[in-house]
Amino acid sequence: MPSRNRGLQKLAGILEIPQDIVLDLPRITMLGNKQILIENHKGIIEYTPSLVRIKVSQGELIINGNNLSLSNLQIEQILVEGTVRDVVYDI
Amino acid sequence: MTYKLSNYIYGMVRVRIRGLMPEKFVNLCIAQHILLWDIVKRDDDLYANMRLNDFFRIRPITRVSQVRVRVVSYRGLPFIIKRIKRRKMMLVGASLSFILLNIMASYIWFVDVKGTKQLTTEMIKEIASQSGLKPGIVKDSVNAKQIEKTIQLNIPEIAWAGITFTGTRAEIEIVEKTMPKQQDNAPADIIAAKDGVIVEFIVLSGKPMVKKGDTVKKGDLLITGVVPEQITDNVSGQLDAANSPPQFVKAKGIAKARVWYETYGETELATPIYQRTGNREVAVNINIGSNKISLKSADLDPNAEFETEVIYKKLPKWRNSGVTVESEINIFHEVTTSWATRTIDEARDDARAKALAAVQNLIPETAYILSRTSEVLDTSEPNLVRVKVSVETIEEIGQSVVILSQ
Repeated sequence: MPSRNRGLQKLAGILEIPQDIVLDLPRITMLGNKQILIENHKGIIEYTPSLVRIKVSQGELIINGNNLSLSNLQIEQILVEGTVRDVVYDI
Repeated sequence: MTYKLSNYIYGMVRVRIRGLMPEKFVNLCIAQHILLWDIVKRDDDLYANMRLNDFFRIRPITRVSQVRVRVVSYRGLPFIIKRIKRRKMMLVGASLSFILLNIMASYIWFVDVKGTKQLTTEMIKEIASQSGLKPGIVKDSVNAKQIEKTIQLNIPEIAWAGITFTGTRAEIEIVEKTMPKQQDNAPADIIAAKDGVIVEFIVLSGKPMVKKGDTVKKGDLLITGVVPEQITDNVSGQLDAANSPPQFVKAKGIAKARVWYETYGETELATPIYQRTGNREVAVNINIGSNKISLKSADLDPNAEFETEVIYKKLPKWRNSGVTVESEINIFHEVTTSWATRTIDEARDDARAKALAAVQNLIPETAYILSRTSEVLDTSEPNLVRVKVSVETIEEIGQSVVILSQ
């Protein structure tokens, strides 16, 4: 699986295709520490006001912070609002 | 923005999600394309917004994820429509009042007349109503140009008439012609309007009864309009005044006389000044016809001084046609008295000014003032200054009086 991924990554580099589409990776956009937008997710695992765990293709994305709320939930994106302290990848 | 607008149009609900696996519920909602937003967790309960039509689709999901969903609040157009449907009569009433207002506004309810001086407004209203402009008529059926013309034709004293509509009020504006003054040629005498000494006397028509230098009293005959006809006696060649019948003319002439005026002015050296202390008592009465009902009576200190202010409150005139109903409010303002003192000079000037003001009212504008003197009179009262002002004028004292007995 990792070798196949590396091959695809190379191909994407040669063909100049955005890698998130080719590799099915999440695109994470942060607006300061107020907002965090995760596109191409696989669903949420846990949600509390201080912790949000989101399932992505590589594993799990853990967001710690205060007063977190899920402002917009759609099939391709999640918008988390609040005060984000840290974002951790748990692969 | 459009997103929020569409949410409002379709209606949205805020739900409370309680159960074992709220995250599973959220994931299943995402998979089913059910939009959720503003998700907040509070005390193990999840609160989320969703669209109203999505709300009816979540029943299978709740069963799978073992949660209980309950509506906390709702907003949007569908709920408002539902509420209006429940109150149909309100809608009927609103539309009914709107229709009624439109119907009532298309009639004329008031006719006003403006600009009349000699003519009466009733006369113009009468002519206007005969040609179709009267209260209770439909506004569109009124031919303003035609009525303007009719008013002008019927009343020759009117130079111009205009009709304007403001809402349910029709206003007829009138401009009257200014007619030339008719000269009064009725036989008349000239009598003295005031006491005085004649200084100038010219007779234009009529027979003089006094001469220059005479002292006349008010009401004395100066020039008479009764003139004996000048018939020369054929025999003697002399004027025979006694036998000739009298002739009546309008006496005309100038009779200027020296007239004296005297007025007095008084001023107190110390004048009281009342100042309100701010304390006040209110008494309220209701007057029904001639009966007086006291609602609240004032509790007055008998030693204090008061200024009384009375306010009447009435119903509008048309409701008060039968028995007069009004409320009478008496406000008693407590006052303290202080005395303002003046010097004798100031008081004398003030008294003289009062006297002069009084004499000014008596003297006609055309009078020629010869002299003006003032003197301070002695009074027995120590607090009073009295000033006498005498004015001497020369003025026209002739007054025309119609001879009644012919």
